[in-house]
Amino acid sequence: MTSKIGRMIAATAVVLTGATGAMAQDEGVLGAIKDRDSLLCTGHNGSYLGFAEVDAQGAWQGFDIEMCKALATAITGSPDKLQIIPVSWAQRFPAIQSGDIDVIIKVTGWTMTRDTELGLQYSRPYFVGPFYTMTRKELGASSIEDLAGGVFCAQAGTTVERILVDYMDSRGLEYEVLAFEKPEELRGAIYNERCDAVPGFGPFLSATRVEAPDPDAFIILEDVMALEPEGIVVREGEEALLDVINWMVSVLLLAEQEGITQANVDDMRANPPSATIERMLGVTPGVGDRLGLSNDWAYNMIKAVGNYGEIYDRTVGDGSRYQLPRGLNNLWNNGGVLYPLVLD
Amino acid sequence: MSALIRSRSFRRGAFQIGFLALLIALIVAAALVGRANILSQGMATGFGFLEQTTGWTVGFSVIDVGPRSTYAHMLFVGILNTLAVGLLTLVLASLLGLVLALMRVSTNTPMQIVGGTYIELFRNVPLILQVLFWYALLTHTPSPRNAISFVDVAFFSNRGLTLPVPALSGLDVLILVAGLVVLAFAFRGLSKSFDLRQRILGAIAAFAALFLVLLLTGRAPEMPLISVPALKGLRFDGGFTLKPEFTALLIGLVLFGASYIGEITRGGLLSVDKGKLEAGAALGFNSSQINRFIRIPLAFRAMLPALANQYVWLMKGTTVGIVIGYPDYFAVVSTSINQSGQTLELLALLMIGFVIINYSIGFAMNVLNDRLKLKGRS
Amino acid sequence: MVAETLPPPIAQSGIGHWFKKHFFSTWLDGVLSLIFLALIIWVVSAVWTWGLRHAIWTVENREACGHGSGACWAVIQDRHRLILFGLYPYEEHWRSTLACLAVIATMVLSCVPLFWTVWRLPILWLVGFGTFVLLMRGGFAGMPLVTTEQWGGLSLTIFIFSAVFVLGTPLAVILAFARRSSLPVIAKTTGLFIDIFRSLPLLTILFAAAVVVPLVLPDWLQGDKLGRVIIGFALFFAAYQAEIIRAGLQSIPDGQVEAAVSLNMPFWSQVVDIQLPQAFRNTLPSTINQAVITFKETSIVTIIGFFEVMASGNAVVGTGEWGQQYVEVYLFLAFIYFVFVFGLSRYGAWLETRMRVGHG
Repeated sequence: MTSKIGRMIAATAVVLTGATGAMAQDEGVLGAIKDRDSLLCTGHNGSYLGFAEVDAQGAWQGFDIEMCKALATAITGSPDKLQIIPVSWAQRFPAIQSGDIDVIIKVTGWTMTRDTELGLQYSRPYFVGPFYTMTRKELGASSIEDLAGGVFCAQAGTTVERILVDYMDSRGLEYEVLAFEKPEELRGAIYNERCDAVPGFGPFLSATRVEAPDPDAFIILEDVMALEPEGIVVREGEEALLDVINWMVSVLLLAEQEGITQANVDDMRANPPSATIERMLGVTPGVGDRLGLSNDWAYNMIKAVGNYGEIYDRTVGDGSRYQLPRGLNNLWNNGGVLYPLVLD
Repeated sequence: MSALIRSRSFRRGAFQIGFLALLIALIVAAALVGRANILSQGMATGFGFLEQTTGWTVGFSVIDVGPRSTYAHMLFVGILNTLAVGLLTLVLASLLGLVLALMRVSTNTPMQIVGGTYIELFRNVPLILQVLFWYALLTHTPSPRNAISFVDVAFFSNRGLTLPVPALSGLDVLILVAGLVVLAFAFRGLSKSFDLRQRILGAIAAFAALFLVLLLTGRAPEMPLISVPALKGLRFDGGFTLKPEFTALLIGLVLFGASYIGEITRGGLLSVDKGKLEAGAALGFNSSQINRFIRIPLAFRAMLPALANQYVWLMKGTTVGIVIGYPDYFAVVSTSINQSGQTLELLALLMIGFVIINYSIGFAMNVLNDRLKLKGRS
Repeated sequence: MVAETLPPPIAQSGIGHWFKKHFFSTWLDGVLSLIFLALIIWVVSAVWTWGLRHAIWTVENREACGHGSGACWAVIQDRHRLILFGLYPYEEHWRSTLACLAVIATMVLSCVPLFWTVWRLPILWLVGFGTFVLLMRGGFAGMPLVTTEQWGGLSLTIFIFSAVFVLGTPLAVILAFARRSSLPVIAKTTGLFIDIFRSLPLLTILFAAAVVVPLVLPDWLQGDKLGRVIIGFALFFAAYQAEIIRAGLQSIPDGQVEAAVSLNMPFWSQVVDIQLPQAFRNTLPSTINQAVITFKETSIVTIIGFFEVMASGNAVVGTGEWGQQYVEVYLFLAFIYFVFVFGLSRYGAWLETRMRVGHG
């Protein structure tokens, strides 16, 4: 009898120490990514146009996917060492808490609840998006006020739900909300007029409009409901990974500022025009060691995905079918709000 | 000592205690690991969030709800939404199922073909696909401004079916309930010398008279009796709107559920001993009387257990409403998890909610089963 | 009181009588017959005109879509690979096809009575299922590794279904025996577990498996999301299947087990040689019905973010390009499910009649 209980206690102890032991020895998520030699990044439970969408061949495309590739290249050296895990908006936080994914790169707004109660940490914003409202031209609305009483469609579990409610309530406007779990359902509802209006992240609205069977029937109203900075999310306590992410974003911006592109990065590396670029591309050591990466991570990354401007153009900007203007997401010296940190 | 160990009952007892202890140890270990994970990630815990306001809202609710409602209230809204669509489904699917079963056991060939085809088609396609299909169909209809109108009082558009309804205040509803109570008493009170039809008609007449008098004297004179919907801006003002999310989920569940209930009912009908039907015919019952007094009651008794299972299944099926934006309990919990981050607490509430709902159905069916049991035999 | 004595019924036969009996046995029946006949004719002709005669079949003619009165099957021609294969790498689709065929062949073979022994059936399934996983996953013999996040479309549906079946059936057997155990604690706990799982919606179990379970498991036990979801699904399936097997076990006369005990047959042999074969045979129709339900319910995983056939079909409808062709896409999906499910349920019905005959 006693031996039985003893064995049981031993078994329980194994379970528990196994758990805590595993936690103690690995050096956080960054270490786990290196050991696995692959990054687990967010996809979508459907296509979020422009940011994470599935093309006709079933491959992932979009701005957020490119950021995932950039991060995968920075850490592992190859953009292919990446697993895109499809998760819905509502599942992204449980998924990162449970370790199903390493990072959330999924236009995730920086909010206080998420930062504190959910136990998450944000990188510096890599995208800034104003929230607009899109509606049908035939409704004749010129401002959100004209849409009072209408049906507003949103994605369940996003900041849009809160922003809409705040905006409408503070102006005493009536509205009905219809929230969808999957982007396909939301788009369907927009295209077949189930909703009068869609509040949402500006770039997403533009992309949705371009994709519509009748793009000219839609208009994006000028009222800005809110401005949301989008960050990359990691679990609390993952300082090492967060550093890598912040410097990854910074290097992508610096490369654009300094005119380093996917095409000329080899030349630049051969004849670096400045000491900063020399450091950045790993000609002189330091840029990698201090982050726990190889010294040529920035070079590999730009070689694989290009600089920030190139990623933007390719996925949502002029080089894509969405043709979004850069707007606020331009560099500081071009009228935007983005800037690189100092790489010393 | 060794005799003790060899004793069969001792070994059995020890084995069971060991099993229980192992189970408890596993649960405790899981709880500890969960706690450690939550603490190490700095997540908030506890049920305090239920008192917080949500800051978001849902588009369909039986009771009042808004962004200032608390999480507790929002969850209650979700349960009511689940029950609303679920209970209505059970009633409608049972009726349609009965019709289908009667069609299939009838001697009429065209009816058999239609009933059989229906059941094969609707049973063999996943519920979620059917719900999506009906939703797509219902929303690919004209917008409110181009709504199909029925003599300008009822409208069908992609916002749903808008119908005129009696404008009832809280007082009116009270009166209505009082009237229903009167109706029930009137029905019982009428002497047994009247036959069933006379008793029903009498009771309804008494109810209607009482209700009309109370209604006409008890309400403000300028208020219209019936609220007629009219297009105002982007939507219909007044009346009652059956929203497409609710309707599509209901249609999907009813059509799908009816195909199963139809087969269960058919099985029940076929289980009725042929001799009893022939006895009825020999007593001069016509076929509808045989159905009403012999076949259906006996079949019902035979199929109750299977029916109870199917009811529980349909109640669970309401969770697919999330794909078309119907805020049922699961959808509300899922959004709450994302907005508040209280994953474990909310998931526990979700499971407890469904266990209670489905145990209640099981309990109700058991009570019914006991009451319907053949009496007078032991 | 004496009832009026009716003359004995007259025996009738012939086409005229058959027609009368099945179409016009009463006045009301006649009206109903006409109504339902009209309904049948109307539906069949509408489906024929819309679905075949006026349909548009190829992408080249797609401008005509939405204008005419016919179906636009061009959407299927254009996107069938997305629907069937989802996120699976485009160049490797042949592997996905072969893998599907392997499992379908296994399903067909396991319907043949020759394989119905306690050993042959599990081995057949392990082989078929193993072939599937090896082909899909790759990573050897020049086939690039494709991880489960990229599995999609019909092959993912089939994978989830067969994995649930393969894992769930032994679990169900264990649960069924545990619930019948003479040890009250074990029987009660198992009963509680089964009842709770049966009263929870599958979606909540899958959701919990996908996002919550990892929180309470130590890191080394978590596995990937698909694995956890399949285990959750298998537990759900087992809770239902266990009750079916229990009914099958109960239908075995006590005398048989008593006879085995008196012959001093070991417990294991009693189970494998006497109880299980009969329990399975007796409950085959219900088991097949359960398989049918499980196949349909795999569509639920689309909600928690897997690209099985339902989700990838829906992804086609969610684009502006083909958004208006939702009827065609949904019908195509319905057709895919129908083929599998109808096939299975017909087989079940056939077995039922066969067994009824066999037992006299």
